[in-house]
Order: sequence, then structure tokens, then C-alpha cells
Amino acid sequence: MAKQEFDVLIVGSGLSGGIAAQVLTQKGISCLMLDAGPEVNLATNRTTKNPWELPYRGLNKPGRLPHVVQANEFNANQWVDEKEVPYTHDPASPYNWVRVRFVGGRSLFWGRQSFRMSDWEFKSADKEGVGENWPVSHADLDPFYSRVEGIFRVSGRKEGKPHFPDGNFLDADYGPDSATVKKITEVAQARGILVSKIRASNGRNGQASSVNLLLPDAVATGKLQIVPNAIVREITVDKKTGLANGANFVDRHSRQELHVKARVVVMAAGSLESTRIMLNSGTPGAGLANSSGLLGRYVMDQFYGVQVVASVPEARGGKAAEGMMGGTALLPRFQNLKKGENRKFSKGYGMLIASGGAALPGFFTEYGEALQQKLDLHSGACMTASIYGERLARYENHVRINKDVKDAWGIPVLHAEVKDSPNEYNMAKDAADTAEDMLKAAGWDILSKTDKFHPPGYSIHEVGSCRMGDDPKKSVLNKWNQSHDVKNLFVVDGGCFVSCGWQNSSLTIMALAMRASEYLAEQMRVGAV
Amino acid sequence: MQAIAATPAVPALVAPALVAEQTLQAQAPPARPAGPLAAGKRDAVGEPVPHFFTASQLAALHRLCELLMPPMGGNPGAVEAGVPEFLDFHVGQSPTDRQQMYKGGLDLLNARATKQFGKAFAALDAKQADSVIRPLLVLVPWQFELPKEPGARFMTAAHDDIRVATRNSREWTQAAIAAGRRPVGAQLYFAPVDPIYRG
Ligand SMILES: Cc1cc2nc3c(=O)[nH]c(=O)nc-3n(C[C@H](O)[C@H](O)[C@H](O)COP(=O)(O)OP(=O)(O)OC[C@H]3O[C@@H](n4cnc5c(N)ncnc54)[C@H](O)[C@@H]3O)c2cc1C
Repeated sequence: MAKQEFDVLIVGSGLSGGIAAQVLTQKGISCLMLDAGPEVNLATNRTTKNPWELPYRGLNKPGRLPHVVQANEFNANQWVDEKEVPYTHDPASPYNWVRVRFVGGRSLFWGRQSFRMSDWEFKSADKEGVGENWPVSHADLDPFYSRVEGIFRVSGRKEGKPHFPDGNFLDADYGPDSATVKKITEVAQARGILVSKIRASNGRNGQASSVNLLLPDAVATGKLQIVPNAIVREITVDKKTGLANGANFVDRHSRQELHVKARVVVMAAGSLESTRIMLNSGTPGAGLANSSGLLGRYVMDQFYGVQVVASVPEARGGKAAEGMMGGTALLPRFQNLKKGENRKFSKGYGMLIASGGAALPGFFTEYGEALQQKLDLHSGACMTASIYGERLARYENHVRINKDVKDAWGIPVLHAEVKDSPNEYNMAKDAADTAEDMLKAAGWDILSKTDKFHPPGYSIHEVGSCRMGDDPKKSVLNKWNQSHDVKNLFVVDGGCFVSCGWQNSSLTIMALAMRASEYLAEQMRVGAV
Repeated sequence: MQAIAATPAVPALVAPALVAEQTLQAQAPPARPAGPLAAGKRDAVGEPVPHFFTASQLAALHRLCELLMPPMGGNPGAVEAGVPEFLDFHVGQSPTDRQQMYKGGLDLLNARATKQFGKAFAALDAKQADSVIRPLLVLVPWQFELPKEPGARFMTAAHDDIRVATRNSREWTQAAIAAGRRPVGAQLYFAPVDPIYRG
């Protein structure tokens, strides 16, 4: 029995796949979505427990999820089991790949910070003389950003600054700033630094996921079928035309191998996973859509962890006056916005300063009562500065297939080789020094300062590995997220990024996915794809 | 159909069965409870049996727990919260590098105690123990990486584990409730979804 051929196969049901499904089905295009994971009902699957009700008192099963620093015993079942779907790296250069496999992907759990990128990222070669320009600019993405912001109900404070572009924001009332946030704002402004607020997706009913904001609309058109527990092994190719014609997938439970036919394939499995599938497809050893040889190259994410903590003398011992502590200040990237700043690094970092935190035991060489007194003294009196640092796009930082290791379904896994460079170390040092300088200038005492940061991958904003560009020799995708080589293959997740910016990536992923999906729908309408 | 209708035994059985039913209802057992039948908690009924550390290591861990996290502010200390026994279990199930770090660290406490005071760490008074502990306490501005030096490495890890395991204990919650404070530490637990494979 010949099975249905779908117009479009979408691989992955997260934010990027969800946007593609929404746009394409609303244009009347029939879509099949395969997702490797099961569907989960967050409302019934989560229950409040005390740590001592769990087998390991909340400390987690030893050795489980060694690469997921974010994991604890409460959330351990959210993440992809590293034994089930392993990946490899040189022990000397760890890579922390944090993955989710459910219908909805990571959007079930994301932190919802929603920033646009600016032309200081998209056009850094022009603006700063560093890195490469993207084939798109902020102006190209602006209308798509606005629509995504509308769907996700993003709130933010407008600033009118092109390096921190405003969006289509809900009216949000931030209330009056606390005295400490006012103080640090003055200090930063005196240094010519813009101080703003976090921008975040409010979503609906406490959720801002693909599952509640994108997929229901698409299913309602009658044009989308979602098959869970369907793990795509490889994209299949028509030998005569070289075009993609569907995918081989394996049932997660039974491990039965199946094939599905489609006229167009849209990859949305989450940057590195889409790249893995493409490397496992097409020509053995080279992969599919890889005439540039760049598939897997330029893996990036922001580096997190640099932190400076200060204590506000007047707030110690629980003596903070009403309105003194609380709230946050966001300092969007403020370095290298002008050419020739002559710093020891290029690109830059954003900084978040939170008021009202606590000190950690490791800030003191005390124990027992003496330690407890210190912790109590500074409790609620701390100002914590942390940063979002941009890792540069570097050819050497890459993922490739490790033929010797296979996952639970026999699919070859990725080997990650991603390292930090002096640019990251110098930027981290500058960030720690700058935060210390500002917190001190505000009249506060530094309790702790570190310029260390987590290994690559930790920020869970991994992008790149399938970058876009105008030159097919220097990029895998064109400016419409379409493969230069295989015209009916699109990659709409973060794989297409040319640089990672300091900003959390999801809003940009979705704006690009929306733009690409509209282009695809139009190309299908005129018969070009 | 015919055969069933003709079976004479059926009507004869009905009457005695009904009588029995009524008698049963008259002496009805208590209704089945709403929750699960097996709602007991392992650590509410059983004492943990330590088996990983040697006796001298466990004694040193006990003393370390007393000193690093004593009862404070109406809260139980680490010993009252069963932390030495819990860590015997938790470290016992850990990868070997963590096991070695703990065993080596506890042996080091005993070795230094013997060298300085001629007795085991467990037998030191608070002042003596302080002179063993303090050199191993270092600042940890970056809490995601343990110090390289083995003694400091052990002390940093154990200090953190002891504090967390104490605060996460049933005893800690009970003390908070008894004192009319809001218990801390409860979180949303995400249950396994449709698991198929556990390597
Ligand atoms: C805790 C946390 C906090 C975060 N906070 C933020 C934040 O504040 N701001 C921000 O911008 N971003 C944040 N992120 C990142 C954000 O979640 C991701 O950028 C975004 O969700 C990526 O969407 P995606 O659709 O590209 O990929 P994913 O959400 O990863 O979706 C990929 C889907 O593909 C499926 N899949 C994988 N392999 C296969 C296969 N072989 N076959 C079929 N299906 C497959 C997976 O099951 C998954 O459902 C956070 C992430 C996490 C986990």
C-alpha cells in the first residue's frame, strides 16, 4: 500500500519546528512533523515533592547526567539520557550538550529571555571590522521579530537604541526601581552604559512553548500530523535529481525502521541534532548538502559563569529599608560598539545585575556557627553581576560524526571539538574587572569575584554548524535557510547562525524560521521548490 | 440459548447468593482509603546501615558533620539529619574519583589528627579539630570547580554536601514545621515520561 506523500516533512517540534508548522499549514501546505520524543503533559507530570522524598535527598543519582550542570534530582528526567543518546569529546576539552526530547522540545523548559540581535551582530564585519556579516540584517528580520514577539507576548522596556533594538512589546509596568538598582544605574550611566530591563516571553497561562503557542494553531488547520517517538535517522535523497525525498526514521519503542515520503524537508531538530542527521545522510563521510565542507563547523554558544558579588552595607543583617533591595538591571553589550575601542577582545558581553541575593558558603573560609553568622548577615543584601559573553565563530570549533559510537537506536553520534580562545578569556577578565569596578563605585563591598566560566554548550544556546551566507563555498545555507546544494532542504533551527551574539538565541531562531517558512511557501506556490 | 434456559441449577443458586451478600453488607469492612495502600516511607521505618566507609573513616565523617553543620537556630545539625549515614550511601554509589576523594580526605583528617594530637580525628575537641580543618578551608568564588589540591578539594566538596544534605533532610522540614516556619526545599518533581531504556 503506497503511503501518503506529504508536502513538507518537519523534523522536530520545538520553537523552530513549531514556527515552520504554523506558517506552512496556514498557507494550506500539508505537513508531517516527526519528533524523537513522546508527548508530555506538564500539568500532570510534575508534582511538588520534598527533597527527602526522592531517593538521593535531592542530590541526584551519582554520575547521572555528568554534562548537564543544570540537572538536579527534581528535573533529571527532563533531559536526554546521556547513556541513551551519547556524544563524545576529548576529556581535556569538555562540551556540555543539554538536550530535551519531547514534543515541544526545549520550549517546555526555557527561561524565556527574549532579545533581538542587532546589526552589531548581523553586520559585525561592517560595524567592528570583526567576523563575518550575516546575509540578513536587523531590518530584514524586523517584521518577523515583531510577529514572533506578538505570539509570545514579549515584554520589554523600549530604549530607542539600535544596538539593543526595541520590539513589539506588551505594556509592562516595571514599577519603581529599588534604591540599589537606581544606584547601579547611575554608576553605569556615568560610564556611558545603557541600562535596561530583561525582555521576556510571557506566553499564556504560565507557558510559552511550541506546545501551547504554535502547534495547536497548526493542528487546527487540519494540515498537520505530529508523530511522536519517531527518531529520524537520515534524510533520503532521489538519486536522479539529488533532491531530498523523505526520511528514514525508527520507532523509539519497537525500533522498527520506517520511511516517509515528502516533497520538501525542513530540519528543526535543534542546531547540532539537525547537523548530525545531515552528516549521517547523503554521501558517506561527507554528509548531505555539504559541498562547502562546512557542515558541523563554527559551533558557538555564549559563555556563562563569570560572576561578581557585592554586599550592600546598609542592607546587612536584614536591615534593608523598604524599597532598598530587589529587581534587576540589564546592561546590553556595551563594548566595541564604536570602531577602534582597542580592547583586548572583539565583540562583547551583556551583564545582568540582580539585587537582593545571598552569599555562598564558598565566599568565606568559615564553618559551623561562624559561617552561618556570615551567611545570615549578607542574606538579601547582595548584588550579583553575571554576564552573557559572546564566543567567537571559529572554524576549528566543530562537531563531526563518531562512527565508533552509536546511540540506543544504532545512529552514529556526534563528537564535539569546541574550545575557548584568548578572546573569551580576555573578555571574561574584562567583564569581571568592569563589574567589580562598578559595584565598588556604588559603595558596596566585594564578597566574591571570578572570571571563570562554564565549558562550551552550557548556556544551552548552541548555534552554528550549518551556517548561512551568500557564497555557497563559505556557507551551507542561503539567506532563506535553504541548502545551497539541495534546493528542497531547509534548516530552520539555530544551525544557520553566523555568530552567536551575547543574546539568548530563541527569538532570532524563530524570526528566521518564520521568514524562511514564508519564503518556502511562496517558492512552493510558484512551483520553484 | 436453549441449553442455558433449560439449566435448572441457575435459579436455585440465586437465592443463597443474595442472602450471603446482605450478611456481608451488614458487617461491611471500612472503606478502602483514597490514597495508595503502600504509602510507607523507607527512611521513616528503617535505619540506614553504613557499609562503604571504614569504621575510622565513618567516625571522622561523623565528627566533621558535627563541626561543620551543628544544630543552629532551632534546626537539626548534620548528625541529627543522618548525614554521615546518607553520605556513606551516596558516596558509596558514586564514580570512583568521588569515592577516592572522600576516603582520601577522611584518612587525611585522621592522619593529621594523629600527627598533631596522637589520636583519631573523631576524638579531637573542637579547638584541636579546628587546627586540622582550617588549613583545608579555601575560598571558592567559582562553585562549579573544586580546588585541585586534594585536601582542599575534599573539604570543599564535603562541606557543600553536608550542608545540602542537612537542609534537604526530613528532620530539617519537621523542625521548620514544628517551629511554625515555612519549610524550604520543596520543588516540582518531573516524573519519568514513557521511559524505554536505561543504560
Ligand atoms: C533550561 C533552559 C533555559 C533556556 N533559556 C532560554 C532563554 O531564556 N532564552 C532563549 O532564547 N533560549 C533559552 N533556552 C534555549 C531554547 O530553549 C532553545 O534555543 C530553543 O528552544 C531551540 O528550539 P529548537 O526548536 O531549535 O530546538 P529544540 O527545542 O531542541 O527542539 C528540537 C526537537 O527535535 C527533536 N529531535 C531531536 N533529534 C531528532 C531526531 N533525530 N528525529 C526527530 N526529532 C528529533 C527533539 O525531540 C526536540 O523536540 C533555554 C533552554 C533550556 C533548556
